[in-house]
Amino acid sequence: MIRAENLVKEFSRPRRVEGRFSGVRSFLSTQKVVSRAVDDVSLQVDDGEIVGYLGPNGAGKSTTIKMLTGILVPTSGHVEVEGIVPWQDRRANALNIGAVFGQRTQLWTDLPLRESFELISRLYGLDRADYRRSLDVFVDLLDMGPFMDTAVRALSLGQRMRGDLVAAMLYRPPVLYLDEPTVGLDVVAKVRIREFIAEQNRSEGTTVLLTTHDIADIEHLAQRVVIIDEGRILYDGDLEALRSRYAPYREIVVRAPLVPEDLHVDGPDLVGTRPDGDDLLATFRFDPEVIAAPAAIHRITTALEVTDITSREPGVEDVIRQIYLDGEARR
Amino acid sequence: MSIATAPGRTVSAPVRLGAAAGSRAVLACAGQAWRAQFVFRAATWSGIIGATLQVVLVMLVWAAVYGARTEVAGVDQRDAITYAVLGAVIAAVFQPFVYDTLYGRLRTGAIAFDVMRPLSAVPMTLAQQAGAAAAQLPAAGIALGVGLLLGALDAPGSLLSGLAFSLSILLGFTIAQILNSMIGLVGFWTLEVSGAFHIYRMFVQFSSGALIPLWFMPAWLSGGLSFLPFSSQVFVPLTIYVDPAPGTQTLVAIGVQLLWVLILAVLAAVLWRRAIRRLVIFGG
Repeated sequence: MIRAENLVKEFSRPRRVEGRFSGVRSFLSTQKVVSRAVDDVSLQVDDGEIVGYLGPNGAGKSTTIKMLTGILVPTSGHVEVEGIVPWQDRRANALNIGAVFGQRTQLWTDLPLRESFELISRLYGLDRADYRRSLDVFVDLLDMGPFMDTAVRALSLGQRMRGDLVAAMLYRPPVLYLDEPTVGLDVVAKVRIREFIAEQNRSEGTTVLLTTHDIADIEHLAQRVVIIDEGRILYDGDLEALRSRYAPYREIVVRAPLVPEDLHVDGPDLVGTRPDGDDLLATFRFDPEVIAAPAAIHRITTALEVTDITSREPGVEDVIRQIYLDGEARR
Repeated sequence: MSIATAPGRTVSAPVRLGAAAGSRAVLACAGQAWRAQFVFRAATWSGIIGATLQVVLVMLVWAAVYGARTEVAGVDQRDAITYAVLGAVIAAVFQPFVYDTLYGRLRTGAIAFDVMRPLSAVPMTLAQQAGAAAAQLPAAGIALGVGLLLGALDAPGSLLSGLAFSLSILLGFTIAQILNSMIGLVGFWTLEVSGAFHIYRMFVQFSSGALIPLWFMPAWLSGGLSFLPFSSQVFVPLTIYVDPAPGTQTLVAIGVQLLWVLILAVLAAVLWRRAIRRLVIFGG
C-alpha cells in the first residue's frame, strides 16, 4: 500500500540576476528562488490496485514518484510505502519496490542483458533456483530470448524497456512505480508491455502507480486515475466518474445533404457543421440525463433529412485535454 | 535469503539483506565492473601495449640517466630501474584512464537507481571501482613479465622486505581507491569530473612517486609530498621493496599508511553523506 499525506517538495535554485554582468552577478548572488514542485499532495493506492497518475509535463508527477521511491526527501508531509517511510529506510524500502523510469535505464549498458539480471539477483539476495525460475517466466512472457546475450546499449528502445521492466520485477516487489514505461514505443511494443503489467498485477497482486502520456495505457490498465497539475491534485477517482464529471454530454454526428441555417432541434444542440464530400456533417450535443439517446436521435431525424448517423462518447483523452487546458487558462 | 513473494502480502518488519548476501552482492558488483573492462577489445589491447611500452621506456630512460655511474644521490642504478619499472606497473592499476562508474551514472541519472538498492551506494561504488582497477591487472602482469624478461627487475631487498611490501602495496591500493572515489564524488556538485580527474591523475602520478622517486626531488619538495597521502600509494611500498634492511623505518611507514587509510575513509564517508544528501534534497 502506498500512502502520502500532505506531501510537499520545494526546490530552491539561485536567482538569475538581470542586467549588466548578469552572469557574474548571478554566480555571486546568494538569493534563492523557491519553487513548489509538489504542493500538498495526498493520495493512497491500495494493495493490488493500478492507479494512473496523470498530468501535463512539469506537473510534479516524477517528483512525487521520486519521493515515494525514497530518492527524494520531502520538504514536508508524510509518505509510507508498505509500512516503511522510504527516505528514512531506503534499504528496507528497496526490497519492497520496483521502478521503471522510461527515460533512463537501470541496466548496465556495456554488458549483455543477462548480466544485468544476474547482478540484480545478487543485489537483492535472490535464491538461485527462485531467480532462474522467475527469469525463465519473464523471458518467456516478454519474448526476450533472442536478445538476452546482446549488450544493453545495442538493444532497441522496446527491447531495453522490456529489460528494465524485468529488472524491476525480478525480486517480485509488492509495489511497482512505472514512470512513462511506454514512452517512444511502437504500438506492438506498447501492447506487449501493457499486457505484461496487467498479468503481473493479476498473478502477483502487485500494486502499480503508473504515469504516462498515452491515455490508452490508462484505459487498458487503470481502474482509477489521479490527475495533478502545478503540483496539486485536480482529480482522484475512477475513470467513468471522470468522464461524467468533466464531459457529461454525448455527441451525435449526422450526414445530411443540406443543413438549414436556422435549424432548431429541441433538446440536442447543434454545435457545428462541416462539409464532407458533397454532404455536410452536423454535430449535435446532448446531456443523457436530460434527454435519452433514442429521443434525441428521433428529434434530429424528424427535423433533418439525414443519410447516416453516428453517436460518440467523448473519450478520456478529450476529457483530460479539457482539464489540462482549463489549468492553462487559469494560469 | 529469499524474499517473501506470496500474494496477500502483509506488512511485516523491514527485511534487509543479510551479511552473507550483502558480501555476495558487493562481489557481484566488482565482478560486473571487471567484465565491463574487457568488453572493448581495443581498449584492453591499448592498456596492455601502453603499460608494456611504459615499462620499456622508463627502463631505457633511467639506464641512460645513470649512464656509466652506478649511484646517483645515494641511490643504486639497479634500485632506481627496479623502482621505475614497478612504479609504471603499479600506476597502470592505481591510476586508470577509464574512470567512469560514478561519473557515467551521474550523467545519465542512473545514480537514482543506486540510491534505491538494498545495498548502500558506497560499497557498491567502491566495489565497482576496485573491480575496474583489478581488470588492469592482466595488462600490468604482462608489462611486469616484459620487465622481468629484459632483466630490469631485481628481487626485493630481502625476504622480509618482500613480505612488508606485499602488505604495504595493499594499503597503497586501498588509499588509491578511496582517493579516486573522492574525486568521482566531485561530480555530485559539478556534474562534470573528467577535467578534475585528468588534473588529479597528473598530480598524483607525480606526487605519488610513480614517475620520479621522491629520493631525487629537492628536500623541501619531497618533505612536503611525504606529508600528503599520495606518496603512500606508490613511493612508500617501493621504498620498502628495495630496502635491503627493513626495520623500524618500515614499521613507521606502514603505520603512516594505516593512518591515512583511516583518515581518508572518514573524509570519504563525510563527503559521501553530503553527496547523497545533496542528491536526495536537490534531486541531483
